Amino acid sequence: MIPGHRKFLYLLIISFAVTAFARSASAATHYIITNDDVSGQLLINSTSFYSVSANGGLNLTNSVSTNGTGIGGGYFGASRVTVVHTGSQDCAFISNAASGSIAGIVLATQTLSNAFTGSPGDQGTSNGIGLASNHHYLYASFSDSDTIGTFKIKSGCTLKFIGDVTVGGLNGGIINGMAVHDDMMVTTYGDGSIESFNIAGGVPVSDGDLQNSTGYDGATYPNGVDITSDGRFAIFGDTATSTVLEVSDISSGKLAPTVVYRLGRGISSSNVMLSPDESLLYISNTQGDRVSAAFFDAASGVLTKGCSSNRLRGYVDNFSYLGALALQKASGTGGVLYVAEFGSSSAVATIKVNSSDGQCTMKEMAHSPAFDPNSPGLLSIAAFPPRKF
Amino acid sequence: MRFSIHGLFATLLFGGLGVAGAMGQCPERPAPGTVVQDALNLNSANGSLPADLTMKHSVDEAGYEHYCYNYKTDNGDVESPTLRLNPGDTLDLDVKNRIQVDDALMKMEMPDGQKPCGDTGSITVASTNVHYHGLNVPPKCHGDEIIRTLIQPGTSPFHYKIQIPTNEPPGLYWYHPHIHGFTEFQVNGGAAGALIVEGMDKIHPEVAGLTERIFTLRQQFLVPWIPGPYQLTINYQVAQFPTFPAPKIEMKPGEKQFWRVANATNQDFMPLQVQFDGKPQKLQVVALDGYPLPKLRSQKTILLPPAGRAEFIVQAPTDNSVNAQFMTGEYDTGPTGNPDLQEVLGQITLTDNPKGQQAPKTSPVSLSMDKLKFAGLVSQKPTKQRKLYFSEEFGGSNGPIQFYITVDGQKQKVFDPNEKPAITTHVGAVEDWTIENHALETHAFHIHQIHFAVLEVDGQPVKDKDLRDTIEVPYWEGPGHPYHSVKLRMDFRDPTIAGTFVFHCHILLHEDLGMMHKILVKPN
Repeated sequence: MIPGHRKFLYLLIISFAVTAFARSASAATHYIITNDDVSGQLLINSTSFYSVSANGGLNLTNSVSTNGTGIGGGYFGASRVTVVHTGSQDCAFISNAASGSIAGIVLATQTLSNAFTGSPGDQGTSNGIGLASNHHYLYASFSDSDTIGTFKIKSGCTLKFIGDVTVGGLNGGIINGMAVHDDMMVTTYGDGSIESFNIAGGVPVSDGDLQNSTGYDGATYPNGVDITSDGRFAIFGDTATSTVLEVSDISSGKLAPTVVYRLGRGISSSNVMLSPDESLLYISNTQGDRVSAAFFDAASGVLTKGCSSNRLRGYVDNFSYLGALALQKASGTGGVLYVAEFGSSSAVATIKVNSSDGQCTMKEMAHSPAFDPNSPGLLSIAAFPPRKF
Repeated sequence: MRFSIHGLFATLLFGGLGVAGAMGQCPERPAPGTVVQDALNLNSANGSLPADLTMKHSVDEAGYEHYCYNYKTDNGDVESPTLRLNPGDTLDLDVKNRIQVDDALMKMEMPDGQKPCGDTGSITVASTNVHYHGLNVPPKCHGDEIIRTLIQPGTSPFHYKIQIPTNEPPGLYWYHPHIHGFTEFQVNGGAAGALIVEGMDKIHPEVAGLTERIFTLRQQFLVPWIPGPYQLTINYQVAQFPTFPAPKIEMKPGEKQFWRVANATNQDFMPLQVQFDGKPQKLQVVALDGYPLPKLRSQKTILLPPAGRAEFIVQAPTDNSVNAQFMTGEYDTGPTGNPDLQEVLGQITLTDNPKGQQAPKTSPVSLSMDKLKFAGLVSQKPTKQRKLYFSEEFGGSNGPIQFYITVDGQKQKVFDPNEKPAITTHVGAVEDWTIENHALETHAFHIHQIHFAVLEVDGQPVKDKDLRDTIEVPYWEGPGHPYHSVKLRMDFRDPTIAGTFVFHCHILLHEDLGMMHKILVKPN
């Protein structure tokens, strides 16, 4: 354990070092971007940039203040960082859960545009502020005020607050996972219920399909969510005592009853992400010690059992939970898979994925994990350039 | 009912703010580093033990909340007296609730459609009742019933009338609140006392004439459900060496004593040892969980899960040059479990005139091992096999966390006071239950009303098929590893235990959050 003042110096030195490196190094084209979710002092939160090498290795190159304060944890299914290409700009947005604000980061310069707030009542201090976006709007789920804030994405990676909607689950749940595809948003509430919204006009309007997922039994409930590139299926990763996934046909513009897939003993499956070619669904076994993949048939929406990694290095000693997923590449199966490790030492693990002929393997790479000295509890990461859907 | 850690946090945070006016309700507790005193004994006479206890609440200077079973004596109030009865005696206990806290922020509802026992209204942190842990007595109103029994603050005393069966195993039992949703608050505050069924000297004459000590080990957290620093106490004296001087246990040089130790902690798995200069000594184990062993067993470590009890003979060193300590060791509860740390529970000091203890007792009853309840259980043919498992899930790093105990084949769900029994059986049944742990945390299985025989651990028969009422089930190491398990023989032959009662994890946070279900034993 590093004593407090020495840890501060250590972080300061690292911060200077990585900033200097970022200024001197030529601009890398691929990054993994974190929400460090730093809690404690005012305006202490940051986002860290890792350059991605050709073999998938990560190097911490920069750390940027997000002009807010985090909480060092929260719901697994809520993504606290999102990367969006809009107009001619690439932006990352990072939520500051304790401050109730969202930081805009100009990726070209890795600089903060500002931190933006919604209405005075928007709060996510206990379980975080989740983010999702299309090319025009950013949506922020505030887990304490039970609101989804809508922000117009403006030039310079700035945000203009449009308005809030109050949301809630059928069983008293709180806004948790959120995914956006074109004019549709799908949400989970951590209480077994799910809902979709029409966002054609910017501010979400419920599609009137709030319902319990088929797999919900009190002990299993949707947490994270992803949507296919054609907008036909929403795929839910469930919090459960095993790996449980649910798929809803949303081609009608509403959620159809979900189909449940129970795919193994991996403990919980609260974060999911489709590969760019949609052949694989990556699963973060959030309560456990590994990641998994299921085969996905984009035509039928059917999931079948795939593969799992071994126990990732440092489980228990360095990390307790797994968080969000990100990919090295925006094509194929995505190359190397990254997963946030939450615990006494926050890190990003790198997992090599091979998939062919209906078989797959997942193996943690030799240089894994890359530690994030800036984060007290890393749950959210994103890739730049992002997947195209 | 779904129940989040944050709801609990809010309750304690705000509930705690509301207790400032309750200072000083409970008796003062002993200072650290003093001689450990046994609790006051209340002995039955002429077949009866009448007693009055008042549940009170206060907050000490360090911020720890005290919940106390207050007993009035001519010399002032004492806390949690030891109730001592012979087999066949009747406990007539009046329990008055005078807890004063702000209970407005969190409530749970009593079961619908069931006749209440005692008071009515919502269950709050200020409500209470009593469970007689380990006693094999009926689960009926005014007996050892906890699902419908409610004693509200400020109401008239609630009367418990419990007849100790004539064939009740002699040994150490204990009493504590079992108010669903708030048990941990009250036990964390110290509401726990020992209950002795006399007659151990008749089963094991080795203890006859020995000085007897009753040590109740408790645990207190400032915020009970948040993993972090805690204090262990022994008979209410803080054991936190070297922050505080170790409690003193006085013995005569070379003296043998009969120690009766109850793990009344919220969640601490305690590998107990007596060490001389750091070396564990042989302990002669007499009984576990209030059930005498067939013959004394020599062990250097006795693992007590939360709620477990051990009775054993300890011999003091012969001279003061030996550093003699009563210890609990470190125990690994798994990746999602809380750390259970090593602690000196008592520094054994030698004196010719020890304080804090009681004279040897001789029981007037006549008992024999083969006539005790559950005698011969291991040789009974089981009428049914069942599998149950513990599991947990986390929706985020801060929760919500759900704790389940599930009968295999049923849906995982948390306890609901209105639920139908998860298991229905009948008087006369002898069942083998395999309890698996699918969670990354060790759990402690407990069932009310009966003892069970431990047949197997991890599928392997055990040599000593002890009768227990609480047993640890170690954590799962994760995918690729088998689940740890215990196989238990449950005895429902006694017609007096017909009715509805519960089984649960005895980590009290888990119990409060619903890692519990009902069992109905139908009368024939």
